[in-house]
Amino acid sequence: MEQTDQLILDTARRLFSDHSGAEVVNRAEIGQPPEALCDAVMAAGLPLAWVSENAGGVGGSLALGFNLIREAASFAMPVPLVETMVANLVLAESGLEVADSWAALVFDGGQLPVVDNGTVTGVVNNAPGVVSGSLLVVPVSDRGLIRVATFAFDSLAIEECESLAGESRARVILENAVPVQLSPVVDNMTEDGLRQFCALVRASQIAGAFEKITELTVGYVKERQQFGRPLGKFQAIQHKVADIAGESALANAAVEQAIRMLSEHPEPFSGDNVAFLPVATAKVVTSEGAATVSRLAHQSHGAMGFSFEYPLQQYSRRIWSWREEYGSEFYWSERIGKSVANDICHGRAEGGQVWDIVSR
Amino acid sequence: MDSIRFNFPAPVIDESVDRLRKDVRSFLQEESRNGSFRPGTDCWCAGIDPEFSRKLGQHGWIGVTWPKQYGGRELSALHRYVITEELLVAGAPVHAHWIADRQSGPLILATGSEEMKQSILPRIAAGECFVALGLSEPESGSDLASVRTRAHRVEGGWEITGTKLWSSGAQSCQYMTVLARTGERNEKKRHEGLTQFLVPLDSPGVTVRGIRDMSGVEHFNESHFEKVFVADDAVLGAVGEGWKQITSELALERSGPERFLSTFIALEKAIQQGAASMEGHQARVIGSILARIRALRAMSLGVAALLGQGQSPDVEAALVKDLGTRLEQDIIERLREFWPIQLKQNFGDELHYLLSDSLLRQPSFTLRGGTNEVLKGIVARGLGLR
Ligand SMILES: Cc1cc2nc3c(=O)[nH]c(=O)nc-3n(C[C@H](O)[C@H](O)[C@H](O)COP(=O)(O)OP(=O)(O)OC[C@H]3O[C@@H](n4cnc5c(N)ncnc54)[C@H](O)[C@@H]3O)c2cc1C
Repeated sequence: MEQTDQLILDTARRLFSDHSGAEVVNRAEIGQPPEALCDAVMAAGLPLAWVSENAGGVGGSLALGFNLIREAASFAMPVPLVETMVANLVLAESGLEVADSWAALVFDGGQLPVVDNGTVTGVVNNAPGVVSGSLLVVPVSDRGLIRVATFAFDSLAIEECESLAGESRARVILENAVPVQLSPVVDNMTEDGLRQFCALVRASQIAGAFEKITELTVGYVKERQQFGRPLGKFQAIQHKVADIAGESALANAAVEQAIRMLSEHPEPFSGDNVAFLPVATAKVVTSEGAATVSRLAHQSHGAMGFSFEYPLQQYSRRIWSWREEYGSEFYWSERIGKSVANDICHGRAEGGQVWDIVSR
Repeated sequence: MDSIRFNFPAPVIDESVDRLRKDVRSFLQEESRNGSFRPGTDCWCAGIDPEFSRKLGQHGWIGVTWPKQYGGRELSALHRYVITEELLVAGAPVHAHWIADRQSGPLILATGSEEMKQSILPRIAAGECFVALGLSEPESGSDLASVRTRAHRVEGGWEITGTKLWSSGAQSCQYMTVLARTGERNEKKRHEGLTQFLVPLDSPGVTVRGIRDMSGVEHFNESHFEKVFVADDAVLGAVGEGWKQITSELALERSGPERFLSTFIALEKAIQQGAASMEGHQARVIGSILARIRALRAMSLGVAALLGQGQSPDVEAALVKDLGTRLEQDIIERLREFWPIQLKQNFGDELHYLLSDSLLRQPSFTLRGGTNEVLKGIVARGLGLR
């Protein structure tokens, strides 16, 4: 990362720790919106992290954005910052104007709505970040090519619901809906490219949550005493904590590698083969690790971790929902298996070796 | 470790690294075609072939990071990494020189006398001199500081008496690094008073006896030292400082690709065989294994990069070994679903041979080089729990 990136990241971290925190997150979930946090995030321009300076954004690198996402996840940020960053990047890449409100990418990894004669029809079942007043950014299929349409929140039929972690998710129903803006076909953007990008976003979030869970667990077992000593002095607990740290380190290594690979890539939404393997790897490893990490962390915390008030649950519920989104470990591992087998069968690996693919 | 956040720098892979990888690969393909070796699982521990090690030495692929004056090539740690991983995935018989290249050479470089460096390192780099590790003893395994082998000062040097157990490959080694007690044992300062010596195995008083392991290979040994004399300059580093050296040695030892690639060759052959009909459940199992290998490799390369920056990522290295060795075992257990492992004989079926051999060798993965329980203890200490 460059120096300016580091500067932005440090600023964001400070902002998050000043305005977010366990209580803010819990209150947001039971109906008290985190207004100060929303205002601060907006005022700092964080939702525009990935938008170029010409288009009024921050002009941060892909790596900066993903690190920001990881950081936001480690604060369980109860505002649709990540969703807006992604939506704004899609807007910028498709040549449309970015909003200065919250925005949501109406895409759940499934089939895209279809545009025909200037109107859009389709249903997106599990769109994240669709909150009142947000700009809805909908990638649509025009006979298999991607265009991007925008809609005002009020203009569509929306059924609001919540993820396991109380984050907003919505079913968005479009019936011959007339967009506010409709881009021409976006070169180098594919449905799978969008899916991969969003999968890496979720993987980064899970990695960020793992870091926080490690921190919480280490802190807790050092404090809590039973049988006259801190829990952390018991070897059974030490081994649980070591396993959590291991999954966390592994997740971070996989995510960082994917981010590096995508950063070197001029077209982040193309979904081509260069990005596929690292991104799929990151989503498999993070999603698979979620079970281990949450199980061991809760076990180490005892009943305290099961209470709403203690922050652990905000992270375990988040990773349980994020691991399913944009393809679970089962989805992506099946694709890896098939893709490697396919490359082997079609002579696309040097010496016919799986290793040649693995070590790329 | 000051933070619980893990960040792994990117390995700098330039053209010379890629070129080296290609060279090693084509050499191995050629050798394998010629039948100069039979690809085997866990080859860095089970495959002893001094002749093959010599060939690698002639290509300049041993001790590559060492100074040129000692037979090295002053290449980066990444160059060495690439050589080692290509050897591992090819199942090449590399055990004879493995320890000397990875561990004893760097130890001699850091702590040996000038004469020792000049006389031994070039021979190691040439694939002609091998070194065994003399750490474990009958009564000392995980609790290494309890070693009973003693070295007494005598005129002009030291006299060593004791028994070392499980030393891999010692029967084909010229030297062993021996950890011995040189100071009085003090329960409060258990790590003091230990010293490492470089002992020629042809010294009078040394007996080395092979021990057959459960897979049928006689690769580790019991070595007895009866009043074995070594000269003063056989001391590695400072007298009494042996423990510190060992812990930094182990950090290097723990994060390399041999900690997650020991059974890769079986996986490789299984996927090649299953590729044409790969789908659904099998694809998911294979894909999940491959993802984890890729992630571990990213982490292991990240640790290598941290080491290259002069940091000491002990916790990260311990984590690589803990996660990696469990994965090596897990791979075989998961492949069983599609390729049951019953017979020791292979009836010409290469994949079956690799799978059964992997299964028979896998209990050792989570033991050698520090058990996973010990590794988790290191992690816990790094996180401030102990
Ligand atoms: C294939 C192979 C090659 C080897 N090569 C060499 C070599 O070249 N040179 C050499 O010196 N040694 C070598 N070893 C020995 C190896 O280093 C030891 O096996 C290892 O350090 C463990 O010691 P141990 O076998 O005595 O087991 P023990 O220490 O007796 O441990 C037995 C079990 O108890 C557990 N345990 C022990 N202490 C604790 C504790 N405090 N808390 C929790 N659990 C504990 C261990 O984790 C293990 O599961 C080799 C071993 C193998 C299997």
